[in-house]
Amino acid sequence: MTIPSFHLFVQTLILGVLVGGVYALMASGLTLIFGVMRVINVAHGAFLILGAYITYVLFQNFQIDPIASILITIPIFFVIGWLLQRYMLSRIANPEQTSVLVTFALALVMEGLLGIIFQTTARSVTPSYTSAALMFATYRFPVTRLMGFGIALLIILLLYLILQYTNLGRAIRATTQDPRAAQLMGINTSMISAFTFALGVATAAAGGALLSIIYSFNPSSQSDWIARTLSIIVLGGLGSIPGALIAALILGVMEQMTAIVVTLYWSPIVFYFFLFITLIIRPQGLMGEIIREKG
Amino acid sequence: MTKLRIPASVWIAGLLAILVVYPFITNSQYQQHIMVMTLMAAITASSWNIIGGYTGYTSLGHAAFFGLGGYLVAWTHNHYGWHPFISAWFLAILVAVFACAMGWVALRTQGSAFVVVTIAGVFILRLLALNLSDITNGARGLTQPRPGWGGVPWSPELIKIPFHYIMLVLLCLTIFVSWRIRQSKFGMGLIAIREDEGKAESVGIDTMMYKVLAFGISSYFVAVAGGIYSYFFTFIDPSFVFGIFTSVTMVLMAILGGRGTLWGPVLGAFIMQPLSDWIIGEFGGTQIHLTVFGGILLLVMLFMPNGILPTLTEFLDRRTKARKASADSNPA
Repeated sequence: MTIPSFHLFVQTLILGVLVGGVYALMASGLTLIFGVMRVINVAHGAFLILGAYITYVLFQNFQIDPIASILITIPIFFVIGWLLQRYMLSRIANPEQTSVLVTFALALVMEGLLGIIFQTTARSVTPSYTSAALMFATYRFPVTRLMGFGIALLIILLLYLILQYTNLGRAIRATTQDPRAAQLMGINTSMISAFTFALGVATAAAGGALLSIIYSFNPSSQSDWIARTLSIIVLGGLGSIPGALIAALILGVMEQMTAIVVTLYWSPIVFYFFLFITLIIRPQGLMGEIIREKG
Repeated sequence: MTKLRIPASVWIAGLLAILVVYPFITNSQYQQHIMVMTLMAAITASSWNIIGGYTGYTSLGHAAFFGLGGYLVAWTHNHYGWHPFISAWFLAILVAVFACAMGWVALRTQGSAFVVVTIAGVFILRLLALNLSDITNGARGLTQPRPGWGGVPWSPELIKIPFHYIMLVLLCLTIFVSWRIRQSKFGMGLIAIREDEGKAESVGIDTMMYKVLAFGISSYFVAVAGGIYSYFFTFIDPSFVFGIFTSVTMVLMAILGGRGTLWGPVLGAFIMQPLSDWIIGEFGGTQIHLTVFGGILLLVMLFMPNGILPTLTEFLDRRTKARKASADSNPA
């Protein structure tokens, strides 16, 4: 164990906040879907990795900038999400119990197929600015992370505006609060479910693109990412986007700190540790409703 | 028309007899190996069924107990020379105690959240196994001496046979315990929790106690199997035993056969494990294996969520009922 100097401490804090923003984007779609549908989309990690691979292909074969490729991948993912909800998830009986296994199976299939297509070699997308960094008062701000943070905040803001100020957003929030009442008010809740799921999957397209420029990945990384994002949404409170934002920043910083103070290998444990502590002390998370639902 | 009905006990005795003489039917090492793995799969699936089937709590964390059993056995074998065939049974008690502690936290949650917590449990243990390399030898895993007894290694031609019988004994024990639980008041309580936990609690069932106990029992047989597994392969590595995929296979087998039934998980294991070995033999890599397993799980969840046995029983019931109805309407 090493006690970091003040300079290193602040530098770590900066990196943690930057990466936390990206985590927040990745988790926002997951928590949104849970809020509306009470479904935990375990395939979210696989969608992130799929997004990363599409970004990789677009970059390698067509020299499309990873950030620009988000404009291509988001609509594709939106359609995929829509179709998945309409033709698969909406058909399962008792979704609260079984959706986890269904989406888990989907994640395994996606991981297997990605492995067949791309092999298991670790990849990363390396645009010209990969190792560039801005210096500010002797502190390093890596360009990829800055861009990741900026894009993530932008998309979360967009999500917030959609939810807060459009009719669709109001319908989604109404469905979150009380699906039956929403239906009685004339909201087509099954349409809202499909839209929300599509929106959640679409955020994974952006998350995946950001992942691809900051981290290296292979098909089996999906399980690391689903573990991270799930821990974030449990800590933040299932279904709460502001909760996910705060939890992502906390965990991003804690992860970077652990990497510095202990070693890099131990840093993922921060997530699971927080997950368990949250469940013991405050099962509803920072801002969510209580997870334990009486039958 | 009276049809000769073969009583269940005869069926069971017959199947058991086949399994007892199996190593003498075939002397192919490969076929013997597959049978040992299938028995092991049936043990883990049946054991999982106690919490996942009877109680309705879908645990994806049972790989943790499998791996813990394996590591404890491997470690004590290497350090104290404890023979795995004996130590596995005792060390698994420690694992069950650990499972109760973990269950005490995890079982506060329900449904999807419970699944998530159990997944996290597996990840934690994998991290520990990877990083506490003084004890676990990190990513390289732990090896054990070649299987044998009293310092004499078993001959390579016969080496699968002791494993066949210890797995068979363990499977019988697992099914027996599972059957007794189903018959008991405890088992009724578990099923009541699955059907409606709130009502179960209101009729005076100590639901937390029941759930934790069921979780502990269901971890025990998985841990014994893990211990014997590590000796069978004389090698155990963290990314496999503490992998979610290890958990998923148990769940898939139980669901495919019929979760919550006594024989469903066994049936599921006897279908999936040979299939799994065939896929690995035919296509090698894990990627196709993963795709096929995920695909089967997906199809089962979408089209036959109750599994083979309940679906079959329902089908037969409906047919006999229809036949009876037609017989009643056309009296001879």
